[in-house]
Amino acid sequence: MNKVDLLSLIPLWILSSAAILNFFSISIRRNHKVIFIITLVSLLVDFIFLTSYSIRHQQSVEPLLVIDGFGIFNIGLIVLTTLMVVMMSYAYFEQREERKEEYYILIILAALGSAILVISKHFASLFLGLEILSVSLYALIAYLRKRERSDEAGIKYLILAAFSSAFLLFGMALLYAATGTMSFQGLADWLAAHREVSPLVWCGFGMLTVGVGFKLGVVPFHMWTPDVYEGAPAPVTAFIATVSKGGMIALLVRFFTTVQGHQLTLLVTVFTVLAVASMFVGNFLALRQSNVKRLLAYSSISHVGYLLVAFLAGGDLGTQAITFYLVAYFITTLGAFGIIATLSDKERDAELIEDYRGLLWRRPLTAIVFSAMLLSLAGIPLTAGFIGKFYVIAAGVRTSHWLLVFALVINSVIGLYYYIRVIAVMFDQRENVRTSEELHPLVYIISSFTMALLGLMLIWLGVHPEEMLTLIRNTL
Amino acid sequence: METIAVEYGLVLAGTLFALGLISVLVRRNVIFMLISVEIMLNAAGLAFIVAGARWGQADGQVMFIFIVTMAAAEVSVGLALILQIYHQLKTLDSDAADKMKG
Repeated sequence: MNKVDLLSLIPLWILSSAAILNFFSISIRRNHKVIFIITLVSLLVDFIFLTSYSIRHQQSVEPLLVIDGFGIFNIGLIVLTTLMVVMMSYAYFEQREERKEEYYILIILAALGSAILVISKHFASLFLGLEILSVSLYALIAYLRKRERSDEAGIKYLILAAFSSAFLLFGMALLYAATGTMSFQGLADWLAAHREVSPLVWCGFGMLTVGVGFKLGVVPFHMWTPDVYEGAPAPVTAFIATVSKGGMIALLVRFFTTVQGHQLTLLVTVFTVLAVASMFVGNFLALRQSNVKRLLAYSSISHVGYLLVAFLAGGDLGTQAITFYLVAYFITTLGAFGIIATLSDKERDAELIEDYRGLLWRRPLTAIVFSAMLLSLAGIPLTAGFIGKFYVIAAGVRTSHWLLVFALVINSVIGLYYYIRVIAVMFDQRENVRTSEELHPLVYIISSFTMALLGLMLIWLGVHPEEMLTLIRNTL
Repeated sequence: METIAVEYGLVLAGTLFALGLISVLVRRNVIFMLISVEIMLNAAGLAFIVAGARWGQADGQVMFIFIVTMAAAEVSVGLALILQIYHQLKTLDSDAADKMKG
């Protein structure tokens, strides 16, 4: 590793030194505000530094990492998302009595893990990034020790994540045993040289699929998703739904395009089945939820299914569709969970649909932003979600994946029902038993600002997607 | 020196992995579930060593050390969580820690 390599990894250095700085700051004196500001500033600096990279930047740090336009864009997205999560966390954790400072260290480390994930081109760096992300997430999910469901969610995630890591590792080991290389490019060369793929390699790919499927929460590996979403604190749920899943998707795209997985028909068939199953099961189970967090969990399962449509379409258009969809989905999910976090009180999160009855008349702006987020998830025009879905369908149609496109269209209609149901509850005029005082502590300037920002971005991307699309097109 | 064929090593690792997998699925005690997951992880580590030996590279052993380190980090968090759960529920039965449904 030479000097240029070291310099090109500065975004990662900034994240890790921010974690260490927070660590020292806590050991000197616990102060929520100071830690919050350090975290905010370092994430901002990191983002500004990333924007200084040229979009055509191409630098590999042999043999583990590659820093290219796609990687830089995704790191930027991760850093910005983490920034939003941190901004909505302040008010949420300020009203809780437990020690709150370590939360910021963990969230920075989780972002670091995800950033490593999106620029890795070798199994070793993939594994390292994934584990930095997962181990931080175990602690983040169970962070609020006084809430009984936090521990349950934490241990469930831990067992299942370790379980899926074992599958992932065994798959890697089998591929290594068969091919003698652990870099994505080496694997691609091996596959190009050997037309006959041995059962050992298929076994390896199969186990990798199981591992990745668990991390993404696709059906049939989805059972942890609703429980973890429900048990984790609302900002952490937002983080899992965006940074953790998004990082994995970006990695999957890089892996598949490098090894040209679209030529392995068996693998493509398996992913098609997973995509269709995720869309249908996710949406049907979401229909009968009375808990908003669980509803969003099932909706996230179906959204991963939608993303897989663009993923299977492949090619440049497919990757563009995935990246745009990720941006739109990140904004929407952050907004939705951010609002749950803002409305939560000391004892519990505002997670039952009943908590939202008549919200429009109590807090009109919050209700309007939340409606916009839900409409974007449903893919209604003028929101970012619509453009995202449009591109996914376009990518699917161009490569004639009719089954997938058909499933996506049907599921959009099913999805509409449960999103509209929540909106209808908010517009209901009936007087609520819970007064607004109960769910309304502390100063929420930062949170409201974040929500307003996310709402504006949502509409702006929905009306003027051209600039974002040009940016995405240039990164490829 | 006579070397062992790669297939035998992989079969051994696969057997260990399957044992771990089955016992995660059937065990109800959280600590035993954690132990079973560790067996699966170490089976993957063994497979890496076998694969590394086949190609005469150090990469397999490097991965093994990564896996052991990660497993240690994971167990420390896991045991802390298990302690917490035991304080709350006074049991380690995983069915008791299953309040969320739907």
